[in-house]
Amino acid sequence: MAEQPLWEQIGSSFVRHYYQMFDSDRSQLGSIYIDTSCLTWEGQPYQGKIAIVEKLTSLPFTKIAHSITAEDHQPTPDSCILSMVVGQLKADEDPIMGFHQSFILKNINDAWVCTNDMFRLAIHNFS
Amino acid sequence: MSEGDYDYLIKFLALGDSGVGKTSFLYQYTDCKFNSKFITTVGIDFREKRKVYNSKGPDGTSGKGQKIHLQLWDTAGQERFRSLTTAFFRDAMGFLLLFDLSNEQSFLNVRNWMSQLQVHAYCENPDVVLCGNKCDLSDQRAVSEDEARELAEKYGIPYFETSAANGQNVNEAVDFLLDLIMKRMERCVDKSWIPDGTVHTNGPTNLDLSEGSDRGRCAC
Repeated sequence: MAEQPLWEQIGSSFVRHYYQMFDSDRSQLGSIYIDTSCLTWEGQPYQGKIAIVEKLTSLPFTKIAHSITAEDHQPTPDSCILSMVVGQLKADEDPIMGFHQSFILKNINDAWVCTNDMFRLAIHNFS
Repeated sequence: MSEGDYDYLIKFLALGDSGVGKTSFLYQYTDCKFNSKFITTVGIDFREKRKVYNSKGPDGTSGKGQKIHLQLWDTAGQERFRSLTTAFFRDAMGFLLLFDLSNEQSFLNVRNWMSQLQVHAYCENPDVVLCGNKCDLSDQRAVSEDEARELAEKYGIPYFETSAANGQNVNEAVDFLLDLIMKRMERCVDKSWIPDGTVHTNGPTNLDLSEGSDRGRCAC
């Protein structure tokens, strides 16, 4: 069987790493962002490693677990990687909810960092 | 009573910051039974309870008991992520607005919840009952009864100090809200203020309407 394309390998190992850190210690997530990174969290924008980590660590739950249902990865024309994740999460004792998250990963000085991150719960309006 | 056998279907929504005890409060009210139904795609959880409401006639005598089917809506915790869909607000008839007496910020945020309600509820002055929850934790109290009452009076809404842990005032708060709703209905002759499909008598002419437009009912 042919080896997976590089972007698939990098994308999926990033995704595994990201949620593993998110679920165990969100304060560690600073290591994957840079000062120009953008996060849009439920429609609210945050820019820069510090603001992003502050937002993520201040989310009001103590426990969270993500389960990845599916992920897709593509190379972009400027040699970045675009990743999209569909999954479910459980915060503390709340019911399980679906979510979507997208990332752009960029190689800077031989390290992959996240320059863009967008998150939404999969919660819909009635009717 | 069988599933469809009621005079009124009434939907209440529990609101307030995460961690104030909304789910425990509703759990306590529905007799400590885990009978909630969760609709994943819209992120709401609801519990149901049957009640009989006795309206007072004009001469003070008790009228015929009306069978009430109460739906108590709870969020799935998405307010932690900042995404309450506004349809939540629109379809509810009455609101239980909770804060945590041991958490001052949750009390300060009551103002935000009230302004959200005024924008998104079915009308500008919906029936709301304010509940200062966790009153059993008296040694951790951060909000005095006086300041809570003062805020409730400012909005012209009733205030209860409740405990979802020991049940204090939980039934009283919900029953008070039901009473406000029933009185509002009695005041409205044409009932045109009521959100779609929420309440209709089960006379033959209205039956189709109440079934057809009742979007909030469990579709699973």
